[in-house]
Amino acid sequence: MGMIFTIVGIAIATVLAGIGSAKGVGAAAQAAMGVLSEDSSMFGKMLVLTLLPGTQGLYGFIVAFLMLIGAGVLGGGDTVTWQQGLAYLGASLSVGIGGLVSGIAQGKAAVAGISMCAKDEKNFSKAMVSITLVEIYALLAFIVSLLTVISIPNITF
Amino acid sequence: MKAVRIIALKQDRKRLLEHLQDSALVHVKHTEVQDGFQRTDTSSQLRQFEKNAELMEKSLKILGNIAPEKKGFLSGFKGRREIDSDEIGKIALQSGRMIGICGKISKLDAQITDNTAEQARIRTLLAQLEPWKKLDIPLNTSDTASMAVLIGTLPKEYDDTSLAEVLAEKDPELVFETEVIYSSSNLTSVVVYTPKQQKDRAELLLRGIGFSRPLNPTSKTPLDKAKRLTQKSADLKEKNEELKNEIAKYAEYRDSIRDTQDYFELRAEKYRVIAELDQSEHIFVLNGYIPEEDCGKLETICQKIPSCVLEFEEADENAPVKLKNNKFAEPAESIVTMYSPPSHDDIDPTPVLAFFFYFFFGMMFSDAGYGLLLVIATAIGIKVFKPDKKMYNNLKLFQYCGISTIFWGLIFGSVFGDAPVVFYKLFTGNEITMKQLMPWMLDTQKDALFIMIMSIAFGLVHVLVGMGCKFYVCLKQKKYAEAFFDTGLWMMLLVGFAILAAGMAIGQILVYIGAGIAIACAVGLVLTQGREKKGIFGKLIGGVASLYDITSYVSDLLSYSRLLALGLTTGVMAQVFNMLSTLMGTSVIGILFMIVIFIAGHAITIGLNALGSYVHTMRLQYVEMFSKFYEGGGRPFEPFSLKSKNFKIKNTDD
Repeated sequence: MGMIFTIVGIAIATVLAGIGSAKGVGAAAQAAMGVLSEDSSMFGKMLVLTLLPGTQGLYGFIVAFLMLIGAGVLGGGDTVTWQQGLAYLGASLSVGIGGLVSGIAQGKAAVAGISMCAKDEKNFSKAMVSITLVEIYALLAFIVSLLTVISIPNITF
Repeated sequence: MKAVRIIALKQDRKRLLEHLQDSALVHVKHTEVQDGFQRTDTSSQLRQFEKNAELMEKSLKILGNIAPEKKGFLSGFKGRREIDSDEIGKIALQSGRMIGICGKISKLDAQITDNTAEQARIRTLLAQLEPWKKLDIPLNTSDTASMAVLIGTLPKEYDDTSLAEVLAEKDPELVFETEVIYSSSNLTSVVVYTPKQQKDRAELLLRGIGFSRPLNPTSKTPLDKAKRLTQKSADLKEKNEELKNEIAKYAEYRDSIRDTQDYFELRAEKYRVIAELDQSEHIFVLNGYIPEEDCGKLETICQKIPSCVLEFEEADENAPVKLKNNKFAEPAESIVTMYSPPSHDDIDPTPVLAFFFYFFFGMMFSDAGYGLLLVIATAIGIKVFKPDKKMYNNLKLFQYCGISTIFWGLIFGSVFGDAPVVFYKLFTGNEITMKQLMPWMLDTQKDALFIMIMSIAFGLVHVLVGMGCKFYVCLKQKKYAEAFFDTGLWMMLLVGFAILAAGMAIGQILVYIGAGIAIACAVGLVLTQGREKKGIFGKLIGGVASLYDITSYVSDLLSYSRLLALGLTTGVMAQVFNMLSTLMGTSVIGILFMIVIFIAGHAITIGLNALGSYVHTMRLQYVEMFSKFYEGGGRPFEPFSLKSKNFKIKNTDD
């Protein structure tokens, strides 16, 4: 039973955060391609701005990976109690939902940053920093999930 | 920075300006023309040079599209080609010829564009002819002696019977014959024959159901016409190929065109400066700025010209800023200028920024293997490409970051993730842990909480250093109240909290000391922060409200938890790819699979995490530290120089 909860948690962490990043990067990539069709020399800068909303998916994946290891899904050895399983499920929500929403929001910021950079390349660093302002909320969600996942084996329920 | 006035006889103008341009020492100042002097209007020459340079640029672009250059992937790192100053003369000589060639290239390109437009027009015509292809008489067939011929389209689907029905219903007396040529759901092409005396009647009736004559009627049958158009289009295509080949023949001149473009840019730059000169009948005056350490060099140059006189004085507030740092900090200058060059009141933040930039980058990238790759790759880049100053500094920046990355990789026990452990186990079957290999290491996963506290502690140091800079700047400007009350008290308050936090872990006594300092500082803040307000209540309320700023400090410090998060991301991603690479075991196929996955996987990890580390390090500098003291908004020092993209002139003096 515990294992099932854990696996659902793993899916939530990966998929929700992944959707956030996919939407964010997708929107940014569309904007970037519009700019590149006019001036292909901006590829490097556009790539950087496009990739910025991509981190949420990574954070989700990392939490999921630590859960795979921590709950022994890969080894198939450890037993996970149903309380622990629910705890893993709960831990996944933070990075999943946090990543989903912040990924989309960061994507919007990236689109705006790209059009700003297209007007004047000198705006690049300002755009970059402004886009990373969103990132902190994904990071906080990630760290909460991370610390929870790491501590679950030591918690007595 | 010094202000300099250079005065010389007019006859030496050309020589002096050439020397100044080659040496790139002086930033030309824009001034109003002084009494008794005149300015030369160079705008028409300038326009000519700029026009020529643009023509070269355009031709290079056309050449690039039609005959792409085979460029190495890394050629962007390459420094400019060095040439002798005699070679400039040769370039000048051939510039006329290059203008001719570029003129031809752009003329040929214009023809290609025209032809392509014509092809598009033909495609539209062909599409219009499509419904008429089966018609065996010309579209403009006129009436015979007794018969009227009406050719046109109807906006609905009909066949011969349904059309006849519709017409007969509307006008039973009309005599007609229809021939439907083409029919689709919203278009029917039809020929209607009717006796000549009924022509008007038939036409009126047909118009009633939407009949219209074809566009562009011709005297050939539609099929013939379509054939001719197709042929013409094919001819145009062939013609375009020929034109392209002709342009491609000029590809061999590409380098010469580039040189010529640079040459015109240089001349344009010179004429821009000439327009800034105050000239009288015999002499001219150039006003500019020069870094203090270069004054001597300028003097040596000017000694070569006997008539030249130099006057130095202290620079005013509008002087441009040239950053000057030691070898360790210099590569980070680009990070500062990307934000904004320091203003007159700022201190140069580069040394502080450089240290923390390397430090934090390393902590986020945190892998000894990746760091080593970074160091080696940048070293090779510097050695092989001999890049220009700017690119050299960028490579150096990443080299220092690489060294820091190796350091942190060793601390976090990460060499290509856990590669040593994974491969040891794969090939020997024995278990071993990174901790056994590196007993000193901190495990990012198991010690995450400790590393997070450490990250925030580093953040505190970073923020305090930023505030320290503010303190220093205020003292320098003799704003003592701002220095001690606005900055000093906050710094002490943060230190107090830090001691308090440390005390919770270490001992009760520190808690009391920390709390004492914090409370004292808070009281101090309440008493001083409202000092601009009027009335005792205004002052008090202002003071209490200022304590609310603590939230911004807390969020600043929390922001440093990204040091842990990104460090962990690198480690875990590397670990994932290591695990994947060993999935197929140690058979021959397994090893091949391993090599491919290992290289591809780590390449992905390096790409994503190097980008992340770079971006987030930069953010920590700009948002968390610069906000504490740095104003920016200065003008960069841009000396009158050879702003060429392609070549640079060898310095013959040293």
